[in-house]
Amino acid sequence: MLGYLIDSALKYKLLVITLFLVIAAFGFKAYKEIPVDAFPDITPKQVVIYTESPGNSAEDIEKLITYPIESAVSGMAGVKLIMSNSIFGLSYVSIFFEDDMDIYFLRQLVSERLGSVAIPSGWGKPLLGPNTTGLGQVFWYELKDTTNTYSLREIREMQEYIVTPLFKSVSGVEEVVGWGGFLKQYNVLIDTKKLQNIGVTYQDIIDALQKSNKAAGGQYLEFNREQYLIRGAGLYKSLDDIRHTVIKSGKGHSVTIGDVASVEVGSAPRFGSISIDGKEAVLGMVLQRTATNAAKVVDRLKEKLSTVESALPEGVVIRTIYDRTEITLKAVDTMTAALISGIILVAIVLFLFLFELRSAFIVIISLPLSLLIAFLLMDYYGVSANLMSLSGLAIAVGMIVDGTIVIVENSFRKLHENPTKPKVEVIAQAAKEVATPVTFAVLIIAAVFIPLLSLDGLAGKLYGPMALNIVFVMLGSLGVALILVPVLSVLLLKPSSSKENFVMKGIKKIYTPFLLFALGHAKLVLASVSVVFVVLAYILSLQGREFMPELNEESIMYRVIAIPGTGLEHSTKTAGDVEKYILKNYANEVSSVLSMIGRSENGETAQANYMEVLLTLKPDIEDLPALTRKMNKDLKQAFTFINFVPTQPISMRIEELLEGVKAELAIKIYGDDQKVLDSISKDIQAVLGSVDGLEEMEVETQLGQAQIKIEPDYLALARYGISVEEVMNVIRNGLGEEQVSEKIEGVRRFGIVAKIKGAKNDIESVKAITIRASNGSLVSLDQICTIEIRQGASFIKRENLSRYMVLSMDVQGRDIASFVEESDALIKEKVNIPDGYYIGWAGDFKNMKAATDKLMVIIPITIFFIILLLYTAFNSLSKSMLILLNVPFGFIGGIIALVVSGIYLSVSAIIGFLAIFAIAILNGIVLVSFIDELREKFPNVALKIVLKDATLLRLRPVLMTAFTTLFGILPLLYATGVGSEIQYPLSVVITGGIISSTLLTLLILPSTYLLFYEKNHDAGVKGK
Amino acid sequence: MNKLIVLMSVLGLCLHAIEIPTQHASSQAFGKSVAINSQVIQLSNASQSVMSLVSGHIEKYYVKAGEKIKKGDKIVLLESIAISKMTAEFISQKKQLSSVNKNYKALQNLYKKGMTSLQSLNKQSIQKDELLAKLSALKSQLKTLNINTDGLRKATSNFIIYAHSDGVVAKILQPLHSGVGVDTPIISLVKEQAYYLKSFLPLAYASKVKVGQKLTIDLDGKIIVSHVTQILPKVDVQTQRIVLLSSVDEKTDLLYINAYIASTLYFDDAKNYVAVRTSALSFYKNEWVVFLPKEEAHEEEHDEHEGHGHDEHEEVGHDEHEEEEAKYEIRVVKIVAQDEKFIGVEGLREGEEYVSAKSYYVKSMLLKSSLGGHGH
Repeated sequence: MLGYLIDSALKYKLLVITLFLVIAAFGFKAYKEIPVDAFPDITPKQVVIYTESPGNSAEDIEKLITYPIESAVSGMAGVKLIMSNSIFGLSYVSIFFEDDMDIYFLRQLVSERLGSVAIPSGWGKPLLGPNTTGLGQVFWYELKDTTNTYSLREIREMQEYIVTPLFKSVSGVEEVVGWGGFLKQYNVLIDTKKLQNIGVTYQDIIDALQKSNKAAGGQYLEFNREQYLIRGAGLYKSLDDIRHTVIKSGKGHSVTIGDVASVEVGSAPRFGSISIDGKEAVLGMVLQRTATNAAKVVDRLKEKLSTVESALPEGVVIRTIYDRTEITLKAVDTMTAALISGIILVAIVLFLFLFELRSAFIVIISLPLSLLIAFLLMDYYGVSANLMSLSGLAIAVGMIVDGTIVIVENSFRKLHENPTKPKVEVIAQAAKEVATPVTFAVLIIAAVFIPLLSLDGLAGKLYGPMALNIVFVMLGSLGVALILVPVLSVLLLKPSSSKENFVMKGIKKIYTPFLLFALGHAKLVLASVSVVFVVLAYILSLQGREFMPELNEESIMYRVIAIPGTGLEHSTKTAGDVEKYILKNYANEVSSVLSMIGRSENGETAQANYMEVLLTLKPDIEDLPALTRKMNKDLKQAFTFINFVPTQPISMRIEELLEGVKAELAIKIYGDDQKVLDSISKDIQAVLGSVDGLEEMEVETQLGQAQIKIEPDYLALARYGISVEEVMNVIRNGLGEEQVSEKIEGVRRFGIVAKIKGAKNDIESVKAITIRASNGSLVSLDQICTIEIRQGASFIKRENLSRYMVLSMDVQGRDIASFVEESDALIKEKVNIPDGYYIGWAGDFKNMKAATDKLMVIIPITIFFIILLLYTAFNSLSKSMLILLNVPFGFIGGIIALVVSGIYLSVSAIIGFLAIFAIAILNGIVLVSFIDELREKFPNVALKIVLKDATLLRLRPVLMTAFTTLFGILPLLYATGVGSEIQYPLSVVITGGIISSTLLTLLILPSTYLLFYEKNHDAGVKGK
Repeated sequence: MNKLIVLMSVLGLCLHAIEIPTQHASSQAFGKSVAINSQVIQLSNASQSVMSLVSGHIEKYYVKAGEKIKKGDKIVLLESIAISKMTAEFISQKKQLSSVNKNYKALQNLYKKGMTSLQSLNKQSIQKDELLAKLSALKSQLKTLNINTDGLRKATSNFIIYAHSDGVVAKILQPLHSGVGVDTPIISLVKEQAYYLKSFLPLAYASKVKVGQKLTIDLDGKIIVSHVTQILPKVDVQTQRIVLLSSVDEKTDLLYINAYIASTLYFDDAKNYVAVRTSALSFYKNEWVVFLPKEEAHEEEHDEHEGHGHDEHEEVGHDEHEEEEAKYEIRVVKIVAQDEKFIGVEGLREGEEYVSAKSYYVKSMLLKSSLGGHGH
C-alpha cells in the first residue's frame, strides 16, 4: 500500500507539488487564524448558579437557597461534582460535568432544573453564571476621571450605563463586571419616632412607595379622524415626587412620605471596593465567552475604546490595567522563538552531517511543511495556539525530520550505488525499502503521546493539546516524507559520491573502539548498565513531585486575607495602606498597584476580608524572582495582622480551579456540624503534628463572623399585635436596604429603599428601632425580639451535598504519597471520627495522583500497542523486545539530568520520559532494521562483524536523528520568557535522555542483539 | 533552629508593627439618661394661686377678677404688723449702728493717742460687727418680701404682693380688709400659655423615673429644661408607655401644641461600673472580650505565624495555651451598661490595663494562624 502511494506520487509529480503548495497556503492561513491564548482552556465543563440574597447570613442562605438548588441539580446526567459556597448575601453553586458535554446544552438543562427550585420570595432569584472560562477575565481597566470633577458614584454610573453596554456589544464578550465606587440609590430615610406622631406603620410607608411610581397605557381615542394615544406617566420624576407620595389620607389633608422621612440620593450597600495607588477607584473587567479567541476579543475591545471614550464625559478615560494579550504574546513569542531557533539548529546539524546542499534542502523543507499541516489540523480540530500546544510543536521539531532523513539518506545512497538505473526507479525502490520502518517509527512516536490524550481533569486539559499537536505534526511529517520527499528527491537529488565528511570521520574514529569493546564484553556491559538503571530508578522514586511547575507570568500579585468578619471599609483602608507602602518602598520597580477588595456586585464568593493586590511593574526589571521574594518578606513584616499569599493572575485562577483547594496537600473533613468539623480538625492536627516532613498545617476557619441575631419573641408580638412579617420587613427593608421600588431615569434604574434613620450607628441603635403596629402600639425592637450577638459562619462550603472543612498542609523533604499513607493510618488509629463524618485527601497531590494512576494503566496498554506495532513491522517478538530494551537506556540519561538539575518530578517531566521512550524506540528501529538488512545480504558473515559494520554504516542516520531531536529541543532548555518554566523539566529530561539513549543504543543494542541472536545466527552460518 | 529564627523575626516585627494603645480601666457612671418622645400639650386647668407671704390685713386690691396681668404687676396691698415690726427694727438698728460707728472712730483716735486701752477698742468693734450681722439678716428677710431697704427711712406696715407670672386673674379669694395668714392663697391666676410636655417612657424605665427629674428638649439648638411634675398612673394604651408630665416654664415661640419632639430624660440614680472604651471591645469565639497586655510578653513570644511550633499546642485546651503564651491575654467580659464612648463591664478590675483601641489588630494576630490562604 505504501509502495502504491509512493509510485503514484512519483507518477503525478506536478500534482503532488501543487497539492503541497495548496496545503502550505491553507496551513499558513490557518496559522494566522488559529485562536491565540496564553494557556489552554483548563476550565472544566462547569455551570455556575449564583443567587444574590442581599443581607442574608451564610447559614440561612445555605438552608433556604443553596440546599434546594443542590438537590435540584444533583442526579443530572453527566454531573461529576457539585460544590457550593454559601456566604453572606450570596449562594454560589458550581456544577462540574463530564468534559465531553456541550456547554449550551448543559446550561439549558440546568436552567430547566432551576425552574423547579422553590426559594422563599424575597430571597433572591438563582441565575446562571456567565458562560466564560476560569481564565475569562481578559481585559481589566480603570475608569478614571482625570479632572477630579466626578464622584465615585457618578463614575460607577458611567461604568454601568455607558461603558458596559458598549463593551458588551463587542463580539466574544460575555459579561462586563463593574467593581468599586458606589451604586446610586435613593434613600427614603424614615424617622421611626415620627411614626407615632402621624399614626402610620413602617409597612404603610413601603406600601405607599410601591403603590406610587407607576405607569399605565390608556389605549387611544379618535378625535377629528386622528388617533390620540393615552398614557399615564406616573413614574417618579424628581425627589419631590417621592416626598409627596401619600401614605395616609385624612380629612382634607394627607400624610406624605416627606412628613416621616427625608429623601436623598445615597449609595447602595456594597460588598467590594477597588483601590488604586491608595485611592478608591472604579474598575471594569471584561469576561470572554467560552471558546472565543482571547487575543481577538481584546483587539476588538481596543478598537471600541475610542467610541467608548468619546461617549464618556470630557476628562474621563479608560486606563488599561491588565491585558491578557500581553502575556499571551509573550508566551507565544517564547514558544515561537523556541520553534524557530529549533528549526535553524536542526538545519545546521543536517548540513553538518550530510554536507550536501540538495539533500539538506529537502529535509529542511519538510520542517515548515509538516508544521503547516499541523496548523491546518489544529484549526480543523479547534486547538488554540498557546503555551502548551506550541511547545508540542517545539518538542517535535527534531523528530519531524527523522522520516525524511531516512528516506533521503536511503535514496541518496541508492542513487550512488546505482548511478545507471533511471532515477525514478531507484528512488521509488529506496523509498519503498524504508517506507515501512519510517511509517512504523512515526506511528510509534504518535502512539507514545496518545496516553496524554486520555488524561482527564486539569492534566488532560493542559497536556492534551500538546500531545495532540505532536501527533498532528508527526502525521504531517509522515505525509511529507512518503509523498513529497520522493518527488523532491527525484527532482533535486543528483547521484554523487557520498564521501564522508570530517565530522563523521572523527566520530567514527572515536566510536569504533568503544563499539568493539562493547561487542566483546556484551554480557558485562549489559549487566552493568542494568545495575545503573535500577539504581537510578530507585533515586527517581525519591525525587520530590509536583503537579505543574510554577508559571512565570512576569507579574506580581497577592491574595491578602484579613480575619473573617473584617469590615469592608477597614479592608479598603488596609489595601490603600499596602498600596502606598509598595509604591513608596518600590518606587523604582512598581508603577501602580491595584487592589480588589471583597467582591464585585455579582457572582463571586470573596468576602470583605479578602483582597487581591495586583502590581503593575515597570518594564525591564532585572531579577523578578528576587524582587518578589524581597517584597513578600517586607510586606509580611510591615503588615503583621494580615496574610499575604503571593500568586499571579493566571496561576491564581488555576489554583481556584483546583477543586477550591490550592495547597499541595489537604484533608477535607466532611460532615454536618461545623463545630464537630472544627474539633475533628483539631484532633487531626494534634495527631499529625509529629509526622515526619510536615512543615506547616492550616485550617480554613469557617466560623468567625459576628452576627446580631434578632429572634422574634412570639408572645411579645402577640401582646402588641405585630406580625413576624412586619418585623422581618423592617429588618429586610429598613436595615437591609432592599429596594422597594425603582426610580427609572431614561433606561437607568436606581433602587428606592426605605431605610430607618440612625438604625445602623451601633448595636444599641438596632435594639432601639421603633416599630409601630397597625393598632398604634409602639415598641422598640428589643421589646419584641431577643437580640443577641453571636459568632456564626462566615461561609459554608459544601461538596456533593455535604459540608466540609479544609485542613491544608505543606510537606517538605519527603515523598507525599508515603506521608499520606502514614498520616491516613495514624488518623484512622487515633482520631475518633463520629458517625456521619469522614475525611478525604485533596489538593495538588490528588491531581498528580489521579494523573499518575491513569498513566499507570494507560502506559502498559500503550507499551503493548507499541509491541504490537513493532511486531507487525519486524514480524518477530524477540526483535520487538530487543528494541524495547532500549527504553530503559534512554531513561538513564533522563533521570540523571532530572536529579542533577534538582527538578521535581512533574507531569511535564513525565512527558519528557515519554518522548525519550519514542526516541529510544526510533533509534532502535533504525539500527535493528538495518542490521537485519545486512544480515540478509551477507548471511555468511559472522554476526559480530555484521553488527559492527551495520552500526558503523548506520551511525550517520542514527546520530542525525538523535542530534536533530536534541537540537530541536535545546531552545526550550535555554528559553527564558514567559511560559518557558513549564517546559523546562521536559526539555531537561529529553536532553539527558537523548544523549544516553543514543550512546547506549549505539553501544548496547549491538551487544544485546549479539546476545539474542549469536547462537542462532552463527549456527545458521555454520550450517551453510 | 528554624523555630528560633521565626521567633526572633516575630519579635522583631511586632516591635515596629502597629502601635496598640492601652489604658487603665476606670469606674464610670452609667444609665444617666434616655431618649424618649414628647408631645407638647396645654393643660386646661393650669391655674396657680398667688399666696400671701406674711400675715396681715388686706388693705387694697390692685387687680380685678378677669384682668390680664403680667409678671411683676402689683396685686394686693397688705397692712402687716410683722412688716412694720421688721422695718422699725431695721431702722432703729441702722441708727444704733451709725452711733456705734461714731463711738468706734472716736475710740480709735483715742487709742492712737494712747488714751484708751486696746481692750475697750475691741469691745466696741465686736459690738459693731454684731450689729452689722443682725442688720444684714434683716435686710435679706425684707428683700425676700420685695422690700427695698435702701430707701427705707421710717417704719412701714404696707406690703405689696406682685404677680410671679403672667396670667389672668381668675378669682379673688379673700375679701377686702380681711386678715390673712402666711401661705394663704389670695387670688387664683390662670396662666395664659401653660405648656406641658407629655413624654412617653418605655415601661422598662418604670423603676427609675421620679417626680422632679430633669427632662430637656432641643429646639433648634436651644435647650429647654423642664422637670417631671407628674407621673400618670395609667400607661398610654396605644403605645404602652408611661406618660410623664412636665411643665415648660420658659416662653418660646417654637413650641406648638400637639407637636412631637425628641426629648431626653435624666435619671439621678446613675450607677458606677468598671468601664472600658467602646473601641476596646471585640467579639471573639462567641463572647465579648477585651485584650490585656502581658508584662512578660517580651520574654515569651508565641509564634502564631508559623505552623510547626503552633501545631504542638493545637490540642483540646488550645485556648489556654494560646493565652498563656500570647502577648495579650483574652479576657471575657460581660456588658452591663453602655453609653456613647464607654462600656460598663464585668470581668475586669478597676485599674487593670487593657487595649483601648485597635483591638482588631490584636484579634487579627491571634487568629491569623488559622486564616489559611483562601479568601473564598
